[in-house]
Amino acid sequence: MIGVGKAKQYANVLDKPLSRGRQEVSLSAFAFLFSELVQYNQTQVDNIAELERRLEDAGYAVGARVLELLCHREKGNRRETRLLGILSFIHSTVWKVLFGKVADSLEKGTEHEDEYMISEKELLVNRFISVPKDMGAFNCGAFVAGIVKGVLDNAGFPAVVTAHFVPIEGQQRPRTTILIKFAEEVLHREARLG
Amino acid sequence: MAQPAIYSLFIINKSGGLIYYKDYGSAGRMDTNDSLRLASLWHSMHAISQQLSPIPGCTGIDLLQAHNFDLHCFQSLTGTKFFVICETGAQNMETLLKAIYELYTDFVLKNPFYEMEMPIRCELFDLNIAQVIQKDRLALLGR
Amino acid sequence: MQFFGGSSLTSVAPEASPAPAAPPGTGTGANAQVLYVFNRNGVCLLYREWHRPLRTLDPAQDHKLMFGLLFSLRSFTAKIDPTTAEKGNLGVPLLPGQCCSFYSFKTNTYKLNFMESPSGIKLILITHPRTGDQRDALKHIYNLYVEYVVKNPLYAPGTPIK
Repeated sequence: MIGVGKAKQYANVLDKPLSRGRQEVSLSAFAFLFSELVQYNQTQVDNIAELERRLEDAGYAVGARVLELLCHREKGNRRETRLLGILSFIHSTVWKVLFGKVADSLEKGTEHEDEYMISEKELLVNRFISVPKDMGAFNCGAFVAGIVKGVLDNAGFPAVVTAHFVPIEGQQRPRTTILIKFAEEVLHREARLG
Repeated sequence: MAQPAIYSLFIINKSGGLIYYKDYGSAGRMDTNDSLRLASLWHSMHAISQQLSPIPGCTGIDLLQAHNFDLHCFQSLTGTKFFVICETGAQNMETLLKAIYELYTDFVLKNPFYEMEMPIRCELFDLNIAQVIQKDRLALLGR
Repeated sequence: MQFFGGSSLTSVAPEASPAPAAPPGTGTGANAQVLYVFNRNGVCLLYREWHRPLRTLDPAQDHKLMFGLLFSLRSFTAKIDPTTAEKGNLGVPLLPGQCCSFYSFKTNTYKLNFMESPSGIKLILITHPRTGDQRDALKHIYNLYVEYVVKNPLYAPGTPIK
């Protein structure tokens, strides 16, 4: 997770190194905070779509910041300009920094050219969450979808990102798939670049 | 398996309301009303047992031994009580109760859709409880 | 009736139940703290204490509470018994020996041992929490009750034992 980590104080924020070190946040602390985030947003909305949107918005801000930070830290102030490049950047670099591991899989949608899917057997934010039956297909992964959207948008790849539960055979728990649908202009640009 | 090691599991909130009940093969079904009444009865007996202590600092019953079963009870610092009905002389029930408490803190308290002190309806909690109980049974079989 | 060493509480290691017919007065190491005897109507026939630093209620209330607790626990165990399919209704008074009963419970500060005779005499012995099974000791006490109380022609049944 994004770590606040060590308590070492620097007189000037600019003196602080940007290297990452081992910065980890307690999973429980995160789980409680995230739980509160969901609960708070739940009191502010009157339908599930609205709740999903608010979680996405919360994630969007995280994504935008993460992109900025990681471009500087990992890529020497360069960012990906190609579609596959940015996707694998999210799949591996972003995921590793946020969740401590690479995402389980990154696939291209079979039906549509402009769809990509990042799947995770057990998404970290969903680790302790059981969605009640009356909330239908709601997925707290909307927060992560928001992060992905934040990264993509700010890297110049506008897209619609959604989180879904996908049941797997022989498993009691469905996995979570982050579905990314790129805007047309992105695909046109991609085609131009060849 | 002819006889389960654990017959049933109850979780009671701090005001004596039953918030979770699972049966693993008791003889004769208990209806919802009965389980609710048993839960509140246990809650009050637990409190009375503290009053009757001859020595200060009593925290209530943690083991009740009957001719046909044992009852192990664990009370968390916040007053939530967990108790299992098991075979007489079943071992390691304290550890099991602690494990169940841990699952409760993880999958119930960290779930944003759970309302405090209300009946527990969490899929993940059910799944994990089933696993823990199963594991306990296997351990017993392995003896 | 002073037959359990009351003050030796802390020094006694947990040990198995004393020999069934341990003669009174020998101090077998079972560290009894309080003894109650109730008849079936809830009258306290005998109350003895050897070690009881905490007293929250006056004796009459204390006895009432104890009898109530036993009554509730008794119907609780009968109802929750997982091995019997036929269970009565909760709260209906049970006959002695009817349905599954309990014989002890334990808290962090004490252990309560319980025995009910067929005539409804309830014996309660409170001991250190780490003492073992006291069912035989209770039987022994019941034996004494039969020998020296019931067989005493001067004793009127249902009155406190003097």
